[in-house]
Amino acid sequence: MNILSLITFLPAAGALVILALPKERERAIQAAALISSGLSLILCGALYVLFNRGTSDMQFVERIPWIPSLGAQYFLGVDGLSVPLVILTALMSFVSLIASLNIKVRIKEYFFWFLILETGMSGVFAALDMVLFYVFWEITLVPMYFLIGIWGGPKKEYAAIKFFLYTLTGSVFMLLGILAVYFNTTPHTFDLLTLLQSHAQWSSRFQILVFIAFYLGFAVKVPAFPFHTWLPLAHVEAPTAVSVVLAAVLLKMGVYGIMRISYGMLPLGFSWFLPILIAIAVINIIYGALCAMAQTDMKKMVAYSSINHMGYCLLGIAGLTATGFAGASFEMINHGIITGALFLLVGVIYDRAHTRDISAFGGLAAKLPVYAGLMSLACFASLGLPGLAGFISEFLCFLGAFARWKVCTAVSVIGILVTAAFFLRMLEKVFLGPFNEKWSALTDLDARELCAIVPLAALTIVLGVYPRPALDLMNTTLVHMAGLFK
Amino acid sequence: MTMLEHAYLIALIPLAASFLILFGGKEDPHSPLPFVGIAAIGWCLVESLGILYAAISGAALPYAQDWSWFSFGMTAANRPFVYDMPIGVLIDGPAVFMLVVVTLVSFLVQIYSLSYMHGDARFKRYYAYLSFFTASMLGLVVSSNLLVTFCCWELVGFSSYILIGFWFERSEPAYAAKKAFLTTKLGDLGLYLALLFIFVLVGSFQIPQIAQFVSRGYMSTAAATLIALGILCGAAGKSAQAPLFIWLPDAMEGPTPVSALIHAATMVAAGVYLVARCYFIFTAAPIAMETVAWLGALTAFLAATMAIVCTDIKRVLAFSTVSQLGFMMCALGAWGLTAGLFHLTTHAAFKALLFLCAGSVIHAVHTNDMRQMGGLSKKMPLTFLTTFIGTCAISGIPLLSGWYSKDMILERVYEHDPRLFIILAITATLTAFYMFRLLFLTFLGTERDKDKHAHAHESPWPMTVPLVVLALLSIFAGALLDHHHLFESLVTGPVSPEIPHPAPPWLGWSVTAAVAASIVAAAKLYGGPHFETAQRLKAAWAPLFHLLDRRYYLDDIFLGLVDLGDRAARLAFWIDSEVIDAIFVDGWGAVARLAAKLSHLFDDLCIDRTVDGTGGLSVTVGGALRSLVARGLAQEYLMYAAVGMSVLAALTWFR
Repeated sequence: MNILSLITFLPAAGALVILALPKERERAIQAAALISSGLSLILCGALYVLFNRGTSDMQFVERIPWIPSLGAQYFLGVDGLSVPLVILTALMSFVSLIASLNIKVRIKEYFFWFLILETGMSGVFAALDMVLFYVFWEITLVPMYFLIGIWGGPKKEYAAIKFFLYTLTGSVFMLLGILAVYFNTTPHTFDLLTLLQSHAQWSSRFQILVFIAFYLGFAVKVPAFPFHTWLPLAHVEAPTAVSVVLAAVLLKMGVYGIMRISYGMLPLGFSWFLPILIAIAVINIIYGALCAMAQTDMKKMVAYSSINHMGYCLLGIAGLTATGFAGASFEMINHGIITGALFLLVGVIYDRAHTRDISAFGGLAAKLPVYAGLMSLACFASLGLPGLAGFISEFLCFLGAFARWKVCTAVSVIGILVTAAFFLRMLEKVFLGPFNEKWSALTDLDARELCAIVPLAALTIVLGVYPRPALDLMNTTLVHMAGLFK
Repeated sequence: MTMLEHAYLIALIPLAASFLILFGGKEDPHSPLPFVGIAAIGWCLVESLGILYAAISGAALPYAQDWSWFSFGMTAANRPFVYDMPIGVLIDGPAVFMLVVVTLVSFLVQIYSLSYMHGDARFKRYYAYLSFFTASMLGLVVSSNLLVTFCCWELVGFSSYILIGFWFERSEPAYAAKKAFLTTKLGDLGLYLALLFIFVLVGSFQIPQIAQFVSRGYMSTAAATLIALGILCGAAGKSAQAPLFIWLPDAMEGPTPVSALIHAATMVAAGVYLVARCYFIFTAAPIAMETVAWLGALTAFLAATMAIVCTDIKRVLAFSTVSQLGFMMCALGAWGLTAGLFHLTTHAAFKALLFLCAGSVIHAVHTNDMRQMGGLSKKMPLTFLTTFIGTCAISGIPLLSGWYSKDMILERVYEHDPRLFIILAITATLTAFYMFRLLFLTFLGTERDKDKHAHAHESPWPMTVPLVVLALLSIFAGALLDHHHLFESLVTGPVSPEIPHPAPPWLGWSVTAAVAASIVAAAKLYGGPHFETAQRLKAAWAPLFHLLDRRYYLDDIFLGLVDLGDRAARLAFWIDSEVIDAIFVDGWGAVARLAAKLSHLFDDLCIDRTVDGTGGLSVTVGGALRSLVARGLAQEYLMYAAVGMSVLAALTWFR
């Protein structure tokens, strides 16, 4: 079995093991989850080492006929665009599983669904066959529905159904797009690599229609304005670890789809849509930041900041330069790590205080120095302080877009200021100023929380100071991709 | 030469020290770890002095050395390729002086803080922060890559944030820290755009390459103007130029040694330094140069007027810093690179001195309010003497360091534009007035607060030794650096491009005479023991005093902007929850329900009727078909249905 298949299906195997375990054996269930996800992460380490940075071809390819009557194949492979995302998925899933060790109810089902979710997410990034891609895409939906709907907050049912319907609607359009390209290629094929070469056969009108279909599917996931309203609600209601993977990985599926499929497969549709895309990017950046500033709930604030950060990704993509692509790809990784850490940290305070209201606290830095330090680190990383991971990718997005969209980029810069404003205000209200005696019983981070957060904090610093390890993975592929656009 | 080759270490040593202090050992008010920071910065000071010595004795400058940092894809002329971003050091004349200034002041401030901050609950962390600041500041000074410069630029802003808010248990420092960060960030947006523009044009952030690009005439005047103005925005934020200076007076909530280091001598000078570092872009853009000059003069004047009515000793000094930074900016804009940087160097010495003196006073009387001081000269003779020296230096008393640099600026500015000269000359007069007002109110006259005065005492040696060192520098630095035009030859290279036009001899003396007159006026008004004249003046000019006291309402304008931002945020969120969500979720829901109703209606009205109508037919046909297909198996029905649907779909598709 190939390494990619192992990475993708080890969590699913873990899920099956959990299914076989009696639900009273909580330790064993947790261990099975951590081991299967951990093995997957270790294999990702191998993937990182073995990945050939000098070629833009698909690597670790695995191709087996799956449904011959349809021409659907079991076809996996990664290039510089997808390999960082596969690694990110394994990392963030493992971290989230550590953070999930405090789940108290229905443990067996929780870890089962979580591992299925991990398989779905890795599969989306590794799949090179459209049917397989679609199957993995939909697989992520079901566990997410249950994870929010069962272990979520007060309005969990509403949030779960809203998330489910929203994304399902999007993916129905995507399915139409998949069928349309299938029937309009000769010979009919779901092979993504072949489809990426087929756009010469398609008329401009066809490409625009199919582009819109795919875009609806991806835009909901990104989420791009105006299809973003499911996100704040889903984040607020989801349990901490689910918020983490939702922000860190699921949103990236949308951006990845736009880069891989919308851009690569439908160049005419993409160039038709470009002026709209840049407008959406600017709206996402500024509007997302402004909405974040209006929040009183920390988690909702972080959720809206994700919309702002995904705007940077869209901005980089709209630049149509290798720099912009590098910025967007790297921003996906950095946003995953930073926002993952932010959600974990917000979860920490919610577990203890049972509130996330920004104005309910005050002066916590004196009482919880480690927590305050890590939270400040994550906030400053998110607002793009140089030396922390967010800055370089954000800068590359702007740099990549500036040559083509001078005014739009210049306007988007306002988003940086607003982001700084709401994060600093949150830090001031929660951590600085006179200590609110109501919280004198709060305790600083425990071992489980440190295990989940500290690796992310360390990565934030490492990638901020020395981004080469991440960027070198992507460079060849992204340069090749940028060269495709005429 | 070895000193230059290890120049990169100067930034890395304090960085290492900072992490060592932060993560090593426990938080302890008497922690020994601060000595690690002092040793690190002492080492850097030695290195910097070595570089200065090498530069004076003729080492080839500028010295540049680059390493590879990271690579990313890039598209130029529609051809994508992998670009390698370098990181490196570029040591030229201005950098040499800046290195010495930063390491020296940081060294002295760290020694001073041993006593000033001793016993603070976060004593150790304070030193970690100071070392981190020093590291980022030194990185800013030596970097050859403007992107790295910008990174360090933001990091000094971050250090400023954590140090202003060091005593975060009180609300004021926390608020001031946020205000400082956001105000400077506002200016940084311009710098950010300038960087984007530079890279798109030049394809590099390396200062020598950009300089080459400009000198070959590839950069149009319009582009150079836009870039220069963007850089100026950043510089105006960091160097507290109008109207962004509003953060600096509030930044005085930080510990006083921090004010001396960051908000007087080094970080706030970074804007001036950045303009100097990118001078070739400014000189290619005459409009930008004029903007720099006028902005500097305006800032110098406005800040000096506000300093006159201030009663908080540190805020007087803060306004004075803003004003002096305006002098430097104005000099740069008037083509006086040497004069501006010379003033930067001497100002670092006497302003750090004045802040540390103020710290010594505050340490003794536990208040910032000059109205509660007075008569401290007997209790604190050494502090009084050093403050007196600093005051004389900043006022431009002949032969002290400030006189040399201020004179150089005034001459240069007079040559460039006499109107600017008049503004700066008036400002210089005001400077002497408010500084001597500070001196009189604090140290002379009668003790106004008996209790505080009784407890006052001279500070211990870790505080007074730095004062003496800085006082000596305030006296002699100007003369030393002006000796044989040492400063000028190092800053502008062996051939001086600034052709010296001898200024009229009356110019220097007339300003000195005005300064002397204003000192006499200050003595009359504030020499004490009574202040009737001052009170009468204040009553007579009440509206003006109020305007100055409210800082020209600039803070209110800033707060109005913040409020506007909040309104925009609330509006955006209202749109999000009431409009967008309503349309795209509830709207879809409504459409879906409507569709369901319609379909139900259609079912009722048409299908059912048809069914009823065709019922009879069905029965007959059904009976006939039954023998054919139905053997009572549901699966088979479904299969035929599926096949039928598929055929129908295929027919529609390929029609």
